[in-house]
Amino acid sequence: MTFYTRLHPNTLNTRSILILAIALLFLSGCASTPVNDQEITAEEINIDPYEDFNRSMHGFNDSVDDYVMGPITNAYKFVTPDLFQIGVSNFFTNLGNVTVVLNDVLQGKAQQGAEDTGRFLINSTIGVFGLFDVASELGLEQNQEDFGQTLAVWGVPTGAYLVMPFLGPTTFRGLPATAVDLATNPVTYVGLPAVQAAALVNTRASADGALKFIDDVALDPYIYTREAYLQWRNHLATDGDPDAEADPFADFEDELFEDEDLYEVEVKLDQNVDNNEQDVTQLQDNTELAEDFLELKPAEIVENTDSIDIETIE
Amino acid sequence: MQVRISVRVLLIITVLVHSWFGAAYAYAESTDDPDAKQIVDVFQAQLLDAMKLKTYSERYQTLSEPVLSSHDLTFIIRVGIRNEWKKLSKPQKQQLVDVFSRLAIAEYAKHFKDFSGESFIFDSQEETRQGGIVVRMRLLLNEDEEVKFSYSMKKRRGAWKILFITAKGVNQSLVRTKEYDSILRNEGFDTLIAKISGKIEKYSKQ
Repeated sequence: MTFYTRLHPNTLNTRSILILAIALLFLSGCASTPVNDQEITAEEINIDPYEDFNRSMHGFNDSVDDYVMGPITNAYKFVTPDLFQIGVSNFFTNLGNVTVVLNDVLQGKAQQGAEDTGRFLINSTIGVFGLFDVASELGLEQNQEDFGQTLAVWGVPTGAYLVMPFLGPTTFRGLPATAVDLATNPVTYVGLPAVQAAALVNTRASADGALKFIDDVALDPYIYTREAYLQWRNHLATDGDPDAEADPFADFEDELFEDEDLYEVEVKLDQNVDNNEQDVTQLQDNTELAEDFLELKPAEIVENTDSIDIETIE
Repeated sequence: MQVRISVRVLLIITVLVHSWFGAAYAYAESTDDPDAKQIVDVFQAQLLDAMKLKTYSERYQTLSEPVLSSHDLTFIIRVGIRNEWKKLSKPQKQQLVDVFSRLAIAEYAKHFKDFSGESFIFDSQEETRQGGIVVRMRLLLNEDEEVKFSYSMKKRRGAWKILFITAKGVNQSLVRTKEYDSILRNEGFDTLIAKISGKIEKYSKQ
C-alpha cells in the first residue's frame, strides 16, 4: 500500500483527492509544531517534521493493506494467469503515458516527448489499446515522468516528507503534483467502478514485490520506506544524474576530516551456523581515515585471528 | 638560440620523465593491486557459486570471507549513523560492527540462492570527483528480466572496497543505516542489537 504512488502515481480516484485535501488542511494547522521533541539532526528536521503523524498513517495504510488490499491482490494473482496480469498492467501503463508526454513537454524534453508520444500511439494501435507492449520490442523504453518531477525541474523544493491515508508516501511537493497527475490521466475520467477497481488492484499487484521485500529486510519499515522513497524520487527528479549518484559518500568527506575518533577495528566472525565453525578474520584499520580516503597514506589490511576488537590508536 | 635549445631539452626531459613514471605507475597498478572491477568480478563469481549451494548455512559460510574482504562494512555503519557512532562506547562499537557484518553476510546468503543461470554483465566504470570508482553492472535474471545497479567503491589501505550498492537511485546501505540511526536515537542501543540479531536468526531459519 505504501508504494502505490511510488509506482503508479496516477491511479487515485476523486475520493482520495478529497481525503488528501482534508489531510493537507490538517497538516497546515499543525505545521508549526514539530511532533518529535527528541534530539534530531538538522537534516531530519527538514525531511520529516511530522514523523508521529506519518507513522500513524503508515500504520493505518499497512492495516488497510493487510486486511483489504493484500488479500484482494493475492486472490487476483492466484485466479488470473500471468499473461492477463501483464496485459492489464500494460493497459494502465499505456494510458499513463498521456501524463508522461505532458510532463516531457513541461520539462522541455523534446526528443523524449516525441519518443513517448510514439510509444503511446504504437501501443494504442498495434498493441491493441495498450494490452501489448509492442513499443518496447521496437526499442522505445517506458519513461517515468510526473508533475512532481516537473516541479523539481522547475526548482520547487521537495518539502517535508508526508504519509497520506490510502495514498502512501509523498512530500509537500509531491502531494499537489499528484492532483495534477490525476487530472491528466485518462483513467480518472472513466466512470466505470470496475475500471477504477482494476486500476487499484493492478497498482497494488505491481508493488507486491517491493512491499514483501520491505517486510522481509526492514528493521523499521517506516524509516526504510521513507528513505527508499526519498532517494528514489530524487533519482527520478535528477533523471539518474551520474554526478548525483556516482559519489554518494562525497557528503561525508568533510565530516570524516573532522572526526576525531580514530579506531582500529578488528573483526572476527565466528560463523557458527548449524554446528559448522569457520573463523574469518578481517582487520580494518581506520587509523587516519580521512587521509586514507584521499589516498594520501595507504595503509595495510592485516589479518588477525583474535576476537573482535576496537582499540583507539594512541 | 641557447634559450630555444634549453626549452626543447627541458621538454624532452619532462616527457621522458613523465613517460617513465607513467609506465612505472601503470606497471605497479597492473601487477600489485587488483582494480575495482576485478574486486567486483571476484566477489560476483563467489556470489554465483554460493547461489548453487543448497542450504543457508553453506551459503553463509561460503560468502563470509568474500563479503568481509570486498566490502568496507565498518565504514558503512560508521558513516551511516554518524553522530550516534560518536556516542557509543568502544564495546558497543565492537558489537555493532560485528552484528552488522553478520547481517550483511546473512542477507546475501538469504537472498542469493536457487541458481538458475543468473549472470552479471559489466556495463561501465567511471571515476568520481572524490577519487572513487563507480562500477555499473546488470544482473541478468533470465532472458527478459534484468536489474541494473552500481557499486560505489573507494580505495582503502591500498585495496578497493565496496561501500555502497545502488539500484534505481536507492542506496541500500544508506537506507539501512538510516534505520539504525533512528532506532539508536529513539529506542536505544540494546534494542538495535536485538532487532539486528533477530533478523539474522530469522534468516537462518528460513
